[in-house]
Amino acid sequence: MGRFGLIFKSIAKGRVTEKYPFAPIELPEGFRGKPEIDPEKCIGCGACATVCPPSAIQIHVDEEQGYKTIDLFLGRCIFCARCEEVCPAEAIRLTKEFELAAASEEDLHQVVKLKMAKCAGCGRPFDTVRHLQFIAEKLPEEQKPMLALCPDCRAKLASKILTVAARRHR
Amino acid sequence: MVDKILAEYGAVVLDRNAKRLVVQVDDKQLRPLAEKLFESGFYYANGVGVDERGLGHDFAMYHVFASEKDKLYLVVKVSTSNLKLPSITPVIPGSNWAEREAMDMLGLEFEGHPEPERLILPDDWPKGVYPLRKEFDYNERPEFVERKPESTPQRTDVVQLPLGPYHPALHEPEYFEIHVDGEVITDAKYRGFHIHRGMEKLAEGRLTLNQVPFLAERICGICGFTHSIAYCQAVADAAGLDWPERAKYIGVILLEIERLHSHLLWVGVVFHLLGFDSGFMHMWRIREKVMDIAEALTGNRKTYGLVLIGGMRRDIDESRKNWVLKTLTELREETERVSKDIFGMKELINRIKGIGVLPKEDARALGVLGPVARASGIDTDVRRDHPYLAYDKLDFKVPVYPEGDVLARLLVRYDEIIESFRLLEQALSEMPQGDVMIEDYTIPSGRVGLGATEAPRGEDVHFVITGVESKVYRWHPRAPTYNNLPSVPIMLRGNNIADAPIIIASIDPCFSCTDHVAIVRKGKVIWKGPLGEGVKQVGR
Repeated sequence: MGRFGLIFKSIAKGRVTEKYPFAPIELPEGFRGKPEIDPEKCIGCGACATVCPPSAIQIHVDEEQGYKTIDLFLGRCIFCARCEEVCPAEAIRLTKEFELAAASEEDLHQVVKLKMAKCAGCGRPFDTVRHLQFIAEKLPEEQKPMLALCPDCRAKLASKILTVAARRHR
Repeated sequence: MVDKILAEYGAVVLDRNAKRLVVQVDDKQLRPLAEKLFESGFYYANGVGVDERGLGHDFAMYHVFASEKDKLYLVVKVSTSNLKLPSITPVIPGSNWAEREAMDMLGLEFEGHPEPERLILPDDWPKGVYPLRKEFDYNERPEFVERKPESTPQRTDVVQLPLGPYHPALHEPEYFEIHVDGEVITDAKYRGFHIHRGMEKLAEGRLTLNQVPFLAERICGICGFTHSIAYCQAVADAAGLDWPERAKYIGVILLEIERLHSHLLWVGVVFHLLGFDSGFMHMWRIREKVMDIAEALTGNRKTYGLVLIGGMRRDIDESRKNWVLKTLTELREETERVSKDIFGMKELINRIKGIGVLPKEDARALGVLGPVARASGIDTDVRRDHPYLAYDKLDFKVPVYPEGDVLARLLVRYDEIIESFRLLEQALSEMPQGDVMIEDYTIPSGRVGLGATEAPRGEDVHFVITGVESKVYRWHPRAPTYNNLPSVPIMLRGNNIADAPIIIASIDPCFSCTDHVAIVRKGKVIWKGPLGEGVKQVGR
C-alpha cells in the first residue's frame, strides 16, 4: 500500500489534536496536578516539608510573633505527591488543576500561618497549637501535662522525675 | 572462572550475591587483573572515585566490570592513601573517561594515563578545588578564574563544518565538528559537557535516600524513570531488600511504557529528519495514546515520581487494567498497520539503507550499548543478561540485525516496540496480587550497591554507597549515550553532509544524560590510525 495507505489512514482518522484550550481537557482519576493545602485542616507538623524532594514546601518559625508559616511554592513543585502521602491530617492534596501560569511569583505561593503555643516552663513558642491538640488526642491522660512544655523543658522535667524516683528507690 | 582469576591476583572478596561481586585488590595487582578480566570477556561498565575519609578509609576507586557470559557485575575496589593509583586505561581504554572524571572531581592521579586532561570541569574552574571531596559544600561557589579557551589550530587541508551547539532536531546542546571534502565527510569530532548539573553532589549533600529517585529521574527528559528504578535497585541491593512481586511487575509495566513512548518518539523524529512528516505525525499520534496510558496509571504523562527504595508508590487497579489492555491491543494493531505502509515506501527505505554503517568489530571495540549495539549484530540486553524486576519471568525476544546501518537501527527499535507491547500484555495479565511496597526496612551504612537497567537507549548502571542518617554517601549513575557517542564519528565517515543529522540522531542520543556525569565506553578503542584520532577527541 505504501504512501496511499497512509493517505487513506489520515483521511479516515480525521483530526486527532484536542481543541484545548477552547474545550476542556479530560483528566484521569488520580491525576497529579497542583497541590493545595487546606488551611483549616493543616496542623503545621512539617512532615510535608521534610519529605519534599525539591524543597517546594518550607517551614519558617517567627518566635517573636509566635507564628509558624508553611510556605508552598509551586515554582519548585515537581508534583510527586509525597506531601499528600505523608500528611497525617489529610490537609494537603493534589488537585486536577494544571494551568499554573501566573502574572507574578507571589501568586505561586500558598502560605498557611499557624499560631504557636508558648512553653509553660520557659515561655518560648515551640509548636503549633493544632499540632499539640492533634497529639493530645492520641496520648494517654497522664502524659498530657508534658505537652505544655517545649522539648528542652520536657527533657529537664523528665530527668527531674527520674532522679526523684531513683532517690526514693534507693 | 571469575573466582579463579580473582584468587590468582590476590583479590579479597568484600561482599557477594548472585548478581554482583565486590572485591578489593592491591594497587599493584589492579592493572594485570583488569587486563585478564578484559581478555576473559568482561567490559568496563562504570568507574567511580570515592572520598572514603568519612567512612574511616582513604580515597578509593571502584571499577565496575560486567560480563554477559558470566551474568555478573564485578566491582573492583582499590584504595590509595597518597591520591596515586595506577591507570588501567592502557589495558582497558573504556576506563579513560571514568579516570579523568575522578581526576577532575576528586583530585586522584592515575599513573600511566594516556591523556590526563580535564574532562568535565570548565576552563574557568580554579585548580586544586575538587567538587566531590567531602569538605566541598554542595552549594559552594569557588572563586572565578578568567576563562582561557583552548585554541585549536585551524587546519588548512580540510573544510571544518560546525554542527551545533544545538542539534537541528533534538534541541539539546551538542557540538560536532565535521571535516568535509566536497560533500563527503572525512572525519568528525564531538565536544560535550555543556550541561553538567552536579547531581551527584546535590544527592550527597542535600537529599535523603528516598528523595534521590526524584532527582535521578531528572537525569533524562525521556527515559528518566529507568534511572530512578536503577537507583532504587542499587540501594535495595546495598540493603539486601527484595521488592514484593507485584511491585516488580508494576515496575516492568511502567518501564515498558517508557520504552514504547521513547522509541515511538524516536521513530517520529527520524521521519521528521528525513522530511517525511506524515510518518512523524502518525507515530506521534500513536505515542500520544501511550502517554494517556501512562497518565491513567500514574497520574503523570511521564510515569515519573512513582518509585521509592521499598517499591512502587501506586498500585494499578483492576478496573483500569482492562482498559489499558484493550488500548494496548488497539495501539499494537495500529502500529503494525501504519508501519507496514511506511516500510512499503521504497524511497524511504533506500534513503536510510547503507548509510551510517557501524561495523560489528568497531561497535564491540567502542563498547556501544542497547539498540545501537543490537543493530550492529551484538547480542546484548540487560533485561535478559542481568535480569532485574520481573523480567526473568517474562518471555521476550531480543532483536539483532547484522547490517549496522540506520535502517537496521530503525528495524531494531521497531521490533522492540512490538516486543514491548507483548511484554506489557504479559505483565498486565500475569501480575500477582499483593503489596507494592515494603515499609519496614533499615538501610545499613557504608554498603555498596549496584543497579542496572536496560533503558530505551542501552544499559544504565547506578553505583551507590549508603551513608548515615538516611543519606547516600556516594551515588554515581552512568547513562548509555556515553558509550554510544564515540561511535558517531565512525558512522559519519564516508557519508554525505546531508546524511549527518539523521546519522547522529540514529543512536538516539541523549546529551543531558551524558553530560551530567562523565563516563565510559566498554571494550577496546582503536587508538592508532585515522579512526583513533576521532575517537580520542570525544568528550574533550
